[in-house]
Amino acid sequence: MKKVAALLFISALAVLLLFVVAGMPPMGDPGNPTVTHVIPRYLERAEEETHTVNVITGIILNYRGYDTMGEVTVIFCALAAVLAVLGRERRGVIHGFVDRSEVPASVIVKTMVRFIVPFIILFSVYTILHGETSPGGGFQGGAVIGGSMIIFTTIFGLYESSRRIPLKVRAPLEGAAVMGFFLVGSLGLVGGGNFLTYAWPRVAQGLHPSLVVWLTVLVEVGIGLGGAMVLTSILFAMIREEEEIAPAS
Amino acid sequence: MRLLHNYHYAAAMLLFCLGLHTVIVRRNIIKKLIGLNIMETSVFFFYISLGYLEGGIAPIRTGGADPARMVNPIPQALILTGIVVAVSVTALALSMVILLYRQYGTLDVDRLMREEEPEAGESGKEG
Repeated sequence: MKKVAALLFISALAVLLLFVVAGMPPMGDPGNPTVTHVIPRYLERAEEETHTVNVITGIILNYRGYDTMGEVTVIFCALAAVLAVLGRERRGVIHGFVDRSEVPASVIVKTMVRFIVPFIILFSVYTILHGETSPGGGFQGGAVIGGSMIIFTTIFGLYESSRRIPLKVRAPLEGAAVMGFFLVGSLGLVGGGNFLTYAWPRVAQGLHPSLVVWLTVLVEVGIGLGGAMVLTSILFAMIREEEEIAPAS
Repeated sequence: MRLLHNYHYAAAMLLFCLGLHTVIVRRNIIKKLIGLNIMETSVFFFYISLGYLEGGIAPIRTGGADPARMVNPIPQALILTGIVVAVSVTALALSMVILLYRQYGTLDVDRLMREEEPEAGESGKEG
């Protein structure tokens, strides 16, 4: 009965949404309202105004800098909430179910993971550093580093993994994204401009425009490092087992 | 006919309904969260499709690329925010699910609701 009601409700919703789709302008049409108003200005002036070749990076870090700063704060708050719910590990007593598994990963898997993880991290460094000239950026690179840590932790266990990135390295870097963004944004205030203006008027007037690019890269690196460490910390908090809840075999 | 041309939008709507159906019908909390993520993904897909331009190129100004032919960069920038928020929500929800499982030993919503009542009564007596 409940399932039939749910199915009826979903079907009604689907029909309603499809009616809306049938009334929308054709996809990919150059005259669509979504690509006409402010978009041409962004696309034409972004390079000279933000000094980034990639228009999306210019929008994320410059035009919508406040938005991105709030977003970085959101993921930091998510980490704080996860740690408040699950608790931070203490040094030395950390282990997960992989460490106590009776069937360890085979030699082939371990060798492959040990071989491939440095390349994944190298790729993510490329993604972070080339965020202003090619597809990529801090969030993507940080997520790739987090993914490599998930692979490593799943195969080698939490003990080995937390020895590679110890708590005293991880904890200060978790705030790198927020701190980097805030410091670079404050440089704009110091230089006589507004918050988060990279090309602040009084100081940067005579300087080379590549300085702005370097500040953008600095913010990207901060976001990448912070995002990677936040993801790793969330993973460690989730995969960790309490001694009293799951007694060791 | 418009519906056939906008099949990306239609697919996003159907994916949204599929995710909502999963959230409503499934009793396992993890599966509900998977449904929530399907809904989020459908919204991202819808936004990115909105920014598409016929024969468009990536909005990266290298090699004398024509700005008039570039796809809309705004949805891509917005969806980056959306993805981060989705990841945050999923992480927080999963950590709460871990706590629930440690406390009650089940992920079934109906059993969780049933087992909550005697537990609350006992703690009431003790207090």
